Amino acid sequence: MSTFVLPDLGEGLQEAELVAWHVAEGDHVVADQPLVSVETEKAVVEVPSPQSGRVARLCAKPGERVKVGAALVEFDDGQRADTGTVVGELAAATPSPARAAEPAPAGAAAVRAAPAVRALAQRLGVDLKIVGASGPGGAVTSADVERAARALTDAGPAEPLAGVRRAMAVNMTRSHAEIVPATVSDEADIEAWRSGSDTTIRLVRAVVAGCTAVPGLNAWYDGRNMERRLIKQIDLGLAVDTGDGLFVPVLRNVGSRDAADLRRGIEAMKRDVRARTVPVAELRGQTITLSNFGMFGGRFAALVIVPPQVAILGAGRIAPGAVVADGKLVAHRLLPLSLTFDHRAVTGGEAARFLKAAIEELERPE
Amino acid sequence: MSEITLVQAVNLALQRAMAEDANVLVLGEDVAAEGGVFRATDGLLKRFGPERVLDTPLAENAIAGLSVGLAAQGFRPVAEIQFTGFIYPAIDQLVNHASRLRTRTRGRLTCPMVVRSPSGGGIRAIEHHSESPEAMFAHIPGLRVVIPSSPARAYGLLLAAIRDPDPVVFLEPTRLYRAAREEVEDDGAALPLDRCFVPREGTDITLVTWGAMIKETLAAAETLAAEGVSAEVIDVATLKPLDTDSLLESVAKTGRCVIVHEAPLTGGFGAEIAARIAERGLVSLLAPIERVGGWDTVMPLPRLEQSYLPNEARILAAVRRVLAYQ
Amino acid sequence: MPSAEKILELLDVAEAAREPGAATVARFEIRYSRFLDPKGNALRQLPDFAADRAELVALYRAMVLARAFDAKAVALQRTGRLGTFPSALGQEAVAVGIAAAMRKEDVFLPSFREHGAQLWRGVSLVELFLFWGGDERGSNFAEAREDFPICVPVGTHAPHAVGVALAFKLRREKRVAVCAFGDGATSKGDVAEALNIAGVWRLPLVFVINNNRWAISVPINEQTAAETLAQKAIAAGIEGEQVDGNDVIAVREAVARAVAKARAGGGPHLIEALTYRLSDHTTADDARRYRSDSEVSPHWAEDPITRLRNHLVGRGMWAKADEEGLLAEISAAVDKSAETYLAIPPQGAETIFDFTYESLPKDLAEQRRAALGAVPE
Repeated sequence: MSTFVLPDLGEGLQEAELVAWHVAEGDHVVADQPLVSVETEKAVVEVPSPQSGRVARLCAKPGERVKVGAALVEFDDGQRADTGTVVGELAAATPSPARAAEPAPAGAAAVRAAPAVRALAQRLGVDLKIVGASGPGGAVTSADVERAARALTDAGPAEPLAGVRRAMAVNMTRSHAEIVPATVSDEADIEAWRSGSDTTIRLVRAVVAGCTAVPGLNAWYDGRNMERRLIKQIDLGLAVDTGDGLFVPVLRNVGSRDAADLRRGIEAMKRDVRARTVPVAELRGQTITLSNFGMFGGRFAALVIVPPQVAILGAGRIAPGAVVADGKLVAHRLLPLSLTFDHRAVTGGEAARFLKAAIEELERPE
Repeated sequence: MSEITLVQAVNLALQRAMAEDANVLVLGEDVAAEGGVFRATDGLLKRFGPERVLDTPLAENAIAGLSVGLAAQGFRPVAEIQFTGFIYPAIDQLVNHASRLRTRTRGRLTCPMVVRSPSGGGIRAIEHHSESPEAMFAHIPGLRVVIPSSPARAYGLLLAAIRDPDPVVFLEPTRLYRAAREEVEDDGAALPLDRCFVPREGTDITLVTWGAMIKETLAAAETLAAEGVSAEVIDVATLKPLDTDSLLESVAKTGRCVIVHEAPLTGGFGAEIAARIAERGLVSLLAPIERVGGWDTVMPLPRLEQSYLPNEARILAAVRRVLAYQ
Repeated sequence: MPSAEKILELLDVAEAAREPGAATVARFEIRYSRFLDPKGNALRQLPDFAADRAELVALYRAMVLARAFDAKAVALQRTGRLGTFPSALGQEAVAVGIAAAMRKEDVFLPSFREHGAQLWRGVSLVELFLFWGGDERGSNFAEAREDFPICVPVGTHAPHAVGVALAFKLRREKRVAVCAFGDGATSKGDVAEALNIAGVWRLPLVFVINNNRWAISVPINEQTAAETLAQKAIAAGIEGEQVDGNDVIAVREAVARAVAKARAGGGPHLIEALTYRLSDHTTADDARRYRSDSEVSPHWAEDPITRLRNHLVGRGMWAKADEEGLLAEISAAVDKSAETYLAIPPQGAETIFDFTYESLPKDLAEQRRAALGAVPE
């Protein structure tokens, strides 16, 4: 900081009146540049700047009388900031904002359809997701939408699933999402059965035999925690088909019950199912399931296991089949069996041994 | 009323405009005694004299710039730029001055000037004589960009451009100068600016184009008609300000749109049209909007010219792709 | 002593005798003139108008006003109340000299450093503040209605001047267009093209080069190899001359001569006025980045205002009371105009649209609606 004082203006003058400033505070001036006009007795005189620099302060106002030697201007030698331009103003950078969170991954590919097609689908009440696309690049065209609309009107109104059907859909979906199914199948030669044998009871006993031989199939598997729980008591789920849908009530503790008791239990169960009076509790807790679908038809099947179970045994239609006995081709009654198991918790060997044990039990005369 | 060519229609409009308004001047290189290298200004010197028809020195920037000065003084200069390949130096005067003079003086000074220039290829010309720069001009606020596609439209639109109180860039399709002929009535009637024309109505697809491409587009429409496809052809004519309403009306009817222009595809004016239709007409669309344009390359020398210019086959291919969305 | 022309003639004859088939076919000379030395002393007979105190005082007053406006503009910019401003400090004589030599009916096309000329010709202080403060209304002059607004793209107004001069010629009006631009502009094609057309069409157009020796940071010796800028006129077939741009009497005299010649149909003329840019290029520029204070300081000795004041005082035409009175009057006028300017509210946003074309096209009307967030009339 340096101060410029009013210089001696000559002719013995001691002071002058300040007439007008020619610079403003903040201005950069160069040496010899007129700073101010002051009036002396004789004239108005311009006072030039003694130095180059920035005018920090003007020390007097127009109209004031300033004595020779009194402060006129204060200069500071500070640098002017670089504006970085010759025109306009450049704003300085602001601190950058925190990085935005990663965007959520895109959902499944949406249906490709032009807007007019979408509008048409909406008008006709057609869900684009179910429309087969015949347009370029897999796009749904308006013809596709119209075709789907026609098909829907032919097909009758959509009925939302409810009750037992809905429960089946839910359970099967869940099973499909969790279970890793594998199926091993075989046939039992039941030629030796006495007449009047109760197929269902025999099958129940076969399941017991299998579980006794391979306890690992009477178990619950928790996929999330990867824990398997072997269960001592066999609570057998019995698939029962009704007009209302599929029910799988539980026959408790089949391993400890005699045939007559089992038969009574099964009859009671069927009655209750038909009458829709099965308590909810009796629809839960199956440790393994049996489905005798052969009553209706079909021989082998890969059935669906409802978690947390790990196995389901399916029995197909009993029918004569060709077997080789004592070196000769003969017709024996055969009972097809399909054992579907959850390969996360059960090995193929375990499944095969279960089936073998079940078949051995079934092939006994009684 | 006899049949005249497009360039003769331009001449007719200039004659008419100069006769009815003493402030209309024609200036440019070789416009006076030569009558213009394409004869667009033929006969004007003889009829109106050297103070209405001025040969300028070779300076496109100055031609446009002095037109600004003349226009600010109340004249209506119609400046010819000999070929659009040479128009680029004039863009400075058009962007920085002609298009801004009214607004930056709040209407105190205005710029009623026209810059007209032969535009487009297909005339087997040497380099730089086949440009289609309309998108560059259309991007400039305050300008009008007009492209006639026929003798009648050249006549009516040029009259409108000259009478307009604001600057107009008038790009004449060189290829149609002599190739397009029709009857034009010299009645001094201007055609409306800022409005599309519909030379062919249809219901199945909208074909949007301007300038010389009208020829190939109409031919494609004929071919399609024989196949049972009814194409509507729209001649944009005034690219800026754009008549969006007419375009949307057509697309609402047909649901399909193909835009055809000779200029290179990327950043071409078809992109602006496609964007506006997508913004406001999306729910009418049955299929994507397609553009058929020149390749994003320099216009090749004459031997390869036909491989560059969009032709009927390319237009039809685009149409078929769009029609596949049935 | 034979005249210069005679000597040249004799030289040509001698050359032709020496070297048949070769001859000097063109020569040029550029003359420089001034009337007052930097201290204000008359170097030779002054032009007629300089005998009239009123004329000289008018010139002095106009330069003082120009400088006061300039200083106020810079001060306003520094306090955030004006936009980027190109100070004309030290160049007041060029602007004032030009305008003083013009008639009201002539048209002036400035660059952006001729505030003194604009003020002389009737552009108001408020209008200048408004324009540099960022408001288009500043270019809608209430007077000088045909003058052009300042021109930012350097030299691009030179062709406009050609068009204006041509308009005068076509209409047989005895009016002259005067186009001012800086030393940097003479490197531009626009200027060369304009000189050429003005020359070949013999237009009533006077070009004045406001040569302050700097084009932002590029000094004149790096701008061109030409010894003078005036000689660029010769290439266009136009007469060119240099004057001391800090001698307002010389500037006015030269421009008046050129304007009279043009008005009489004698064609265009180029005047290079030599001055010095004492300020930064604009208020956003810091000239110390490329030139030292010690280079600038000596040029204060050429100050056009001091020069004329000293001359007036020396001729007994100006006294202390005159000086005080003038400074007070100018200061009050400038302050008052600044206040008026600061009190003017900005235009409505609709004005962004309303002057783009004579009438608003539909798509632009929609944008206007969106910009204003309301439905217009």
